[in-house]
Amino acid sequence: MNQFVTLLANGVSLGCIDALIALGFVVVFKATRVVNFAHGSLVLLGAYVIGRVHENLGFAGAVLLSVAVTAVVAALVGAVLLRRVRLAEPGTLAVVTLGVDIVLATDLTRRIGTDLLTTGDPWGAKVVTIGTVHIPQTRVAAAVVAVVLVVAFLSVLRFTDWGVALRAAAERQETASLMGIRPGRVAAAAWMLAGGLAATAGLFFTAFPSPGISGSVGQAALGVAVPAAVLGGLDSTTGALVGGLAVGLTATFVAGYQDQLSFLGRGFGGVAPYLVMLLVLLVRPAGLFGGKETTRV
Amino acid sequence: MSAASVAPASSARAAVGGVGLPLLRVRDLDVTYAGSVRALRGVSLDVPQGCVVAVLGSNGAGKTTLLRAISGTLPFAGGSVAAGSIQFAGRDLHRMAPAAVVRAGVVQVPEGRQVFAHLTVEENLRAGGLAAARRVRATARQRVYELFPVLRQRAGQRAGLLSGGEQQMLAIARALMASPRLLLLDEPSLGLAPQMVERIADVIAEIRRQGTTVLLVEQNAAVALELADTAYVLEVGRVALHGPAAHLAGAEEVRDRYLGGAAVKEGESAAAAKARIATDDGQRPVAAVPELVVEDLSVRFGGVAALEGVSFTVAPGSVHALIGPNGAGKSTCLNALTGVYRVAAGSARYGGIELTRLRPHRIARLGVSRTFQNLVLSPAATVLENLMLGRHRHGRAGFVTTGLRLPAARRERAAQEDKVRGVAELLELSAVLDRPVAALPYGAQKRVELARALCAEPTLLLLDEPAAGMSAEESARLAALVAQVRAELGISILLIEHDMAFVMGIADQVTVLDFGRRIACGSPAEVQRDPEVVRAYLGTPRREAGR
Repeated sequence: MNQFVTLLANGVSLGCIDALIALGFVVVFKATRVVNFAHGSLVLLGAYVIGRVHENLGFAGAVLLSVAVTAVVAALVGAVLLRRVRLAEPGTLAVVTLGVDIVLATDLTRRIGTDLLTTGDPWGAKVVTIGTVHIPQTRVAAAVVAVVLVVAFLSVLRFTDWGVALRAAAERQETASLMGIRPGRVAAAAWMLAGGLAATAGLFFTAFPSPGISGSVGQAALGVAVPAAVLGGLDSTTGALVGGLAVGLTATFVAGYQDQLSFLGRGFGGVAPYLVMLLVLLVRPAGLFGGKETTRV
Repeated sequence: MSAASVAPASSARAAVGGVGLPLLRVRDLDVTYAGSVRALRGVSLDVPQGCVVAVLGSNGAGKTTLLRAISGTLPFAGGSVAAGSIQFAGRDLHRMAPAAVVRAGVVQVPEGRQVFAHLTVEENLRAGGLAAARRVRATARQRVYELFPVLRQRAGQRAGLLSGGEQQMLAIARALMASPRLLLLDEPSLGLAPQMVERIADVIAEIRRQGTTVLLVEQNAAVALELADTAYVLEVGRVALHGPAAHLAGAEEVRDRYLGGAAVKEGESAAAAKARIATDDGQRPVAAVPELVVEDLSVRFGGVAALEGVSFTVAPGSVHALIGPNGAGKSTCLNALTGVYRVAAGSARYGGIELTRLRPHRIARLGVSRTFQNLVLSPAATVLENLMLGRHRHGRAGFVTTGLRLPAARRERAAQEDKVRGVAELLELSAVLDRPVAALPYGAQKRVELARALCAEPTLLLLDEPAAGMSAEESARLAALVAQVRAELGISILLIEHDMAFVMGIADQVTVLDFGRRIACGSPAEVQRDPEVVRAYLGTPRREAGR
């Protein structure tokens, strides 16, 4: 029971980080219909910038710079792709993001080299103990930050002009342009937002108890974003949040009970989120909150 | 049928007493899709300040294309302006992005309403006002809520939950939020019940009274001619007629176009007569073709009844036409018969076999072939390859035998090609068999679709708007071809058409649908005289009542 509660708390806090990653992935898809395979590398970029500059700028300065740099890089990636948005199929653009991902990940891995980069966060390896439940302080901070960001994001989406424009463009891009909404600007803002979310997620994704910032972070983050976004329904922000939590919980529980699950082989935690995703898709082919694709003959 | 026969170009402008430049001036506009298909050819049109100008025409005439060209949304559909100019209040709209056109003061209400279903009514209105300055938004909202009080009551509801009529109001209201100087309306009466059409018409009249200029695209000639000062009739991308609306409403030519008065006589002498003689010969085994019996067929989309208790019978070897205004449920009926849509109630039996419970490919195997309203061909493949696809159900050679080009597969292919060439000859496609489909003109592509359906050797052929987008001559030629096909092959044909003139010449029986119900059934001549049918197509214009 005790172990269950500990795993639940850790799973939820990890799920918050996963939800931030998935949210950025989904925002880009919602605004542009592009599956952004470079999202994992954006998470890595965010973490890398923090790891490089925190000794000089201090932790807060490093986080601000990282968010800004990642947002700008994401917007550039988006702008390069967006130039062709009218000409190419979203599927083709998704392949282009794969290329961007390879370039970014390779370069960042080269830059990291053999250095041991850490996030330099003030929470370090400290652990909060409530009763008999132990949670790393970074995870508590991650949960708080994630909740604040998600609430802020959802309010922006619901109440601001940009939010209305994004939702309108996501639903019917052509009609939205008849309202004077500029799809290009909406999309650029979505890419920037995705970059900012990726940087924030990158911080907590590589902080304790993770081993630190390495080239493999990008792949790991993408491995979280895809099942979370797909099982939530790709174009649904609510879906991204639920999907992120589901992936975090699955990964934590499978790792926590791995002794009991040893008959499934080692490393089952890596595939478990995908298994959950497939099970959800069997029942709901459009994901939990996804809009149904319908075609008229 | 030249424009001059109704009104010379100058009198259209004189009729509204406009001085100086019109608000919108379109000159010699040419629009092409995918670089080859010409959708508009040399269209010129004036919209004077403060007027309502109507653009009429059948499906595929280029009405929506014209609006797309003005609002800058052609690129979304793969089209571009090849020549000509579009001037609004002295500014050139050509090559402007849609958002810039909106800011210049031209706002379009798209066809089919296109409300943002997941947004609330209030948010839809807000989206419409995004291009306007903040200070004018409140005034615009006030005006919109006065025009449409129902939207105020529904402000917090999701737009997807509104009825069709309310969605149309919302679509117009959303466009008004940008306080346009020129409002473009694309088919506002489409698929709406008569009372709702009248309410929308009243609203358009009120919008005009408040000083907004309106360019109205409509298939419903009755509504459009009542509202408009001047009207243009488009036919296959050209302006076929134009003049004062009151003048056009009384013109024989307009009545003919919509009710096909003239075509019956011509058709009777040529195509239909030929077909009757051929079938009377008794050479063809008509007996092998079973009867299609449709009884009480109902199809619903959510709460909307698209088809409600429709019954008709297609006698073996006959041509049966299913006609009705847009949104009447014609295509829905065809989709239900071919297994694409599930039916809510009723039955459709073909030779005693219930079609409504079968999957589409099983229905095809029973000998039921169809064509589509919009072309569904492989554009890069040649005509021959497209037609060979139609032979699919008659092929037996498997993956391996075909891949290894074994003698059996080669023999089969040769036999299949012979059949295809036979069909191609019947439909006058022999000369173009090796050309890619995309290189053919639109009318020929429609014939390729018909040929592909025939290649499956059907006993029942379903044609979904075969004459859509064709000129009067092209459609007369097609009518003759359909009659010939029936005569030579002895098969049953169920034909869906919007264009009554086309149907009248070749159909034995006509069933008329309106708002998902059958309103008339009988021979072409009977149906044409039916007052219900005349009302559905031309309405009962209040303006004409006094004459």
